[in-house]
This record gives sequence, structure tokens and C-alpha cells, in this order.
Amino acid sequence: MSTIAPQFRFSRFVGSLFDIIFWILLLFSLIGLPIVFIILFYIKMPLVNHQLLTPYLAMTWMADPSRTLPIIKTLLHTTFFHVVAFPGFGFAALLAAATIFIERKFLAKIQLRVGPLYCGKVEGILQLMGDGLKLISKEIIIPAKADKPIFWVGPLLFLGTAAAFVSLIPVAPGWVVANPSVGLLAVFATIGFFPIITVLTAWAANNKWTFIGGLRALHQMIAFEIPLILSLLSIVILTGTLNLSQIVESQQHYWWIIFAPISAIVFFICIIAELERVPFDLPEAESEIVAGWLTEFSGMMYGLIQLGTYLKLYAFAGLFTVLFLGGWNGPSVWPPLSPDLITNGITIGPITAKIAGLPLFDQEMLNGTLWFVIKTVGVILVILLPRGVFPRIRIDMLLHTGWYKLIGLAFINIFIALGLLYAGVLGPGGLIQ
Amino acid sequence: MVDAVFLALSVLTIGSAIVALEIRSLIYGSIALMITLSGIAGFFLLLDAPFVAMFQLSVYVGSVAVLILFTVMLVRRELIFNKIEDKRRRYAGIGLMLALMLGIGMIIIGSGIKSMETNSPTVDYQKIGKDFLTYYSPALIVMALILAASVIGALALARREDITNDQRVN
Repeated sequence: MSTIAPQFRFSRFVGSLFDIIFWILLLFSLIGLPIVFIILFYIKMPLVNHQLLTPYLAMTWMADPSRTLPIIKTLLHTTFFHVVAFPGFGFAALLAAATIFIERKFLAKIQLRVGPLYCGKVEGILQLMGDGLKLISKEIIIPAKADKPIFWVGPLLFLGTAAAFVSLIPVAPGWVVANPSVGLLAVFATIGFFPIITVLTAWAANNKWTFIGGLRALHQMIAFEIPLILSLLSIVILTGTLNLSQIVESQQHYWWIIFAPISAIVFFICIIAELERVPFDLPEAESEIVAGWLTEFSGMMYGLIQLGTYLKLYAFAGLFTVLFLGGWNGPSVWPPLSPDLITNGITIGPITAKIAGLPLFDQEMLNGTLWFVIKTVGVILVILLPRGVFPRIRIDMLLHTGWYKLIGLAFINIFIALGLLYAGVLGPGGLIQ
Repeated sequence: MVDAVFLALSVLTIGSAIVALEIRSLIYGSIALMITLSGIAGFFLLLDAPFVAMFQLSVYVGSVAVLILFTVMLVRRELIFNKIEDKRRRYAGIGLMLALMLGIGMIIIGSGIKSMETNSPTVDYQKIGKDFLTYYSPALIVMALILAASVIGALALARREDITNDQRVN
């Protein structure tokens, strides 16, 4: 007899199971099905093989791979897939997660340490999963005197803003979540939300360390936002557009880092400051103010902010690649897809079912994605590098760098760009196209 | 669709503006002000002017609202406000607002703008730039001079002779 349920009877257990099944069926048929139909009424279903895709048709098509493939291809080009999986959140979160692990091993190698070693036998590759499980299972503690609504919403807003930033980065030709004609301005508008969220959450936690960290973050981000915007103006002058995809297309023959090296350096320093990384990690200076504006966050709230931080890191590295390193442009290294594969398909297994139209992505997209990822990972590694080498700098030195030196340097490259434009060398209608 | 979005944006903008005026907590008031300013950016997006909308977001939400937040957080409340609770002032304010809205509404309706062309193309920012440098260049120059004068004025006001500290010299 168990002590947890002293009145246990097997017949009651079976009866309760039937009870649950009855209620599920009743609720599903009375509430679930009408909701499904209402949603289906408003969703615009795609046309696949000249037939409107209904859920019933999709069910019958699941049995036949040659009829399932068009459905998958249609799905790949929906906004939902773009937002959730490939150029959007899933892809960026995967890269961000890889960055967290690589950062730990990379810094360990720089400083002649070992880094994560035991979790997952081989060089600690499961460390990240362990950290994630730990964060999810930890209790979320809210300080008693905290301003609770802002404190709860803060991490979500931070992650949301970082994800909005990620959505503006074009990965391959045509593969971008949001492609507004004023993409670069949208980037500036998105970056502008980070200091607000930081200082509000820092204030809401009602702790002196968080507030000092939040004020430092505010000072730092505002000081470095201006040279960041100014350093990108030279690119806008040279390309004559604000659309990020068009900026990438304008770099087919040469990268803008050749003509705007000072801008690239200024932008890179501003990236490090906006990301609060060493040597500009004053807002989170763990040896001075506990953990800065993150002090009071625990459990998954801290995890959300970390995810947001690394999404932001990916987005800034991607923006650097897009603006200065030619984005997806690069020599065609992806092996060409054989025409036999496209028309006849591959043969699977002993029954040799021929599936036509298999390559879900074309060669151009795969090649572009490959080059984009290589360049972005390179930029991410260069952003990580100073953490293993430099000490933290003082806040007056930081503000002096931001307000005096970087703004001046950014203006120098703007004048170089203007000179090249008026000399007729570069830009719309220039000598070098 | 646009009507629904317009209505939602209007409710959001006006509602948060009222909240910004009426709420006791200054921090929540400045957050409501941010929502108001973002709502105005949404109106610009509805009007097919993404350029202005993005500037609204980055300048007003990203900079001005942060400055307000900064001031509210760092300066004691009594130094900013000397609040006078007075019923008659409030009703006078509401009456003044209604009168102003009625007057402006009469002017706008009387001016003949009664219909809106919905299928007009998006405002091109390159055209804005060209117009600013050609036809409207005097306005641009005057604006630049005003901004430069205000920056110089701010620098002159904020300037102070620092006590030199030997330990903090770079």
C-alpha cells in the first residue's frame, strides 16, 4: 500500500483514465474543432500543384514523398518559416548557442586553460545543454521591493528587441525576414531601444549594483551610438541606398572595407561597446559591481537576457559582414547540383522510390549562406578575442573615446567617401562599378 | 484592415498619452510617453512614410525618451515638479483642449481636405534628400545654424572649470 495514495484502487484509476479521455474528446469537439475551423477560415492557404492546400489534402499527401516535397517547398517560402527557422530566430539562436560554447573554449585556449571538459566526454561539448537545463530548472527569484511589472517584462523586451534586430539581417539573396527600403535606419531605431530596456530593468530591480550598472550601460550605449551611426554614413554615401540587401549587392566586386577602413574600425569598436564586452564591459563589471544590471536576475530570466545578448552579438557581426565584408558575395565553392538530381531525383532504399525536385534550396542560396556564415563567424571570433587579452578600461576613458576620438574618426571617413563620390570614382555612376 | 490598425493605434497613442499625464509614478509616465511616441511612428508607417517613422523611433523613443527617463531617475521629484492639485485647473485644461481640437478640426474640414488618396506611392527618401539640398536648401541652412547655435549654447552653459586632480590625469 503506498503512502502517497492510501485509497488507491485499480478500477478507479482506469475509470479516471476514461474520464480524462471523455473530457478531452468533448472539449476538442466542442471548442478545439471550431477554433481550428475559424483559424483555417482566416489563414490564406497556399496553392500546391494547382490545388488549394487543405489539411485533409495535406494528410493524404504525407504518404507520397513526391507530393509532400512541393508542400515543404511552399512552407520554406512562407513568412512563418522565415521568422521561426532559417534567416530568423532558429538560425540565429543556433549560431548564438554555438558562440557561447566556442567563446568558453576559445578563451580557455588563449589563457592556457582547459575550459569545459567533462560534460559530454569529448571536450565538454554538452556543457551548453547542461547550462541550459540548469537555468530552466532554477527558481526565479523576484526581489521583494522590485517594481514587478517592469522587472518581469524586461528580459522579454530585451530578447524581443534583439530578435527584431536579427530579422533585418539578410543572409542570402532573397533570404531575409524583413527587407524595408530604410533597413539601416530600422537598425538604428532598433538599437535605440536597448539602453531604455537596460536602464528600466536596472531601476526596477531596486538594487544599487543594478542601478549603477544600468546607468553605466546608458552612458556607454548613448556615447557609442553616435559614432556608430556616423561611421555607417560613409557606406550610405557610397552606395546611395539604405536597403541592406542592395548594399550587399553593391559589393559584388570589392568590399567596402577597402574604401572605408576607418569606418570599419570605428564601427567595430562601437559594436564591442554596444555589446558590453571586454574591454568595455563596465555595465557588467563582475569584479566591481557584482554583475551590473544583471545582478538580480535568476533562472530563465537571466537565460533570456543571455540569449538576447548573444543574438545581438550575431546580429551586429552579421551587420558588419553585410556592410563591410560583402555579405553573401563570394566565389562559387558549393558543388553544382546535378541536373539528374533535379529532374529524376534520387533513389532511396531497396524499393527505389524516385523523388523528383529534391534540392530544396538552389545553389546560389547555399553558396551565399556558406559565405555569410564563414564571414560572420570570423567577425564573431574577432569580437570574442579582446576578452582573453585586454583588461577593463575606466569609464572616463571610455566616454572620452566615444565622444571625442571615434566621432572625429567617423567624420574623416565621411569626408573620404564624399571626396571619392565627387571625384567620380565610386558611388552611383562612378568609374568603378 | 488599415482602419482596424488605425483605430488600435489611435487608442494606444491617446490612451498612453492620457496615462502619461495622469499616472502618479513618473517612471511609468515616461514609459507611457514612449508608447505614445511609438504610436506616432506607427501612424507614419500607415501613411507610407517609413523614413519618418524610423527617425521618429530612433530620435524620440531612442534619445528624447531616454533623456526624460534619465532626468526623472536622477533628479528628485520636488526639484522637477511643484504640483498644484486644483480641480478648476483640470477642467479648464480639458475645456481648452476641446476648444483647440474643435478649432483645428473646423480649419481642417474647411480647408477642403476631405478625402485621402490611398494608393499613392511610398514617400521616397532620396527625393526628400534631393528636395532638401535644392529647393529647400535655405531652410536646411537655417536649421543647421539653429542646431549649431543650440549645441554651442549648451556647451557654454555646461562648461565649468574643473578642479584638477593629479591622480585622474590621463
